[in-house]
Amino acid sequence: MLDKLDYTSVPGSRADHEITVYALSTCGFCKRALAFLNARGLAYRYVYMDNVPLETKTEAKKALKERFKDDVAFPFAVIDGERHLVGFIEPDWKKTLGLE
Amino acid sequence: MIAKTIDQTMTFATMVAAKQGWKLNPDEDFTRSLVEGLTTNWNRYGYFLCPCRDTEGSREADAKVICPCAPSWTDVQERGHCYCALYLDPAFAASGKTPASIPDRRSQF
Repeated sequence: MLDKLDYTSVPGSRADHEITVYALSTCGFCKRALAFLNARGLAYRYVYMDNVPLETKTEAKKALKERFKDDVAFPFAVIDGERHLVGFIEPDWKKTLGLE
Repeated sequence: MIAKTIDQTMTFATMVAAKQGWKLNPDEDFTRSLVEGLTTNWNRYGYFLCPCRDTEGSREADAKVICPCAPSWTDVQERGHCYCALYLDPAFAASGKTPASIPDRRSQF
């Protein structure tokens, strides 16, 4: 289901991890999260969930919640298809992405 | 529904902050982006859905997360800022700390 979403790929000089960010176009912390990845030259893909039709979005959020056993809030980042981050707390992102 | 401008939304946010004794986030770029987000949400949905929450599909379903959201008073008091960090506790604002994401506590309200 998640593969059906229309992601935007952002190239970077580093592709240490496969990073997918589920974000809202209106959200300040989502903007900070994407800026954080951009500043470090990390390649990633993202989708603004507020631009996704309601039915598709509801299915996608359900799929994320079931897969990661966590409530979905934004930004919601999936790292290498295994780990996830909810919200933007910079030290947590640094640690999870091995940037410390 | 009459569309709102960013300036009108900024007036709304400024009045909310003044009435509640809160401060708008002093990071002007961040605050501007949130006010733009609130404006987008008003013009999409007809109400000021929190810019950091996604709609559940109706005003009724989103009632607790219309700005100022139901948890905002508790979040400002206990965390120093509301969920999206538009509104700050005055002491937190004076501290110079940078807000970070906090848990969404809407289910507790």
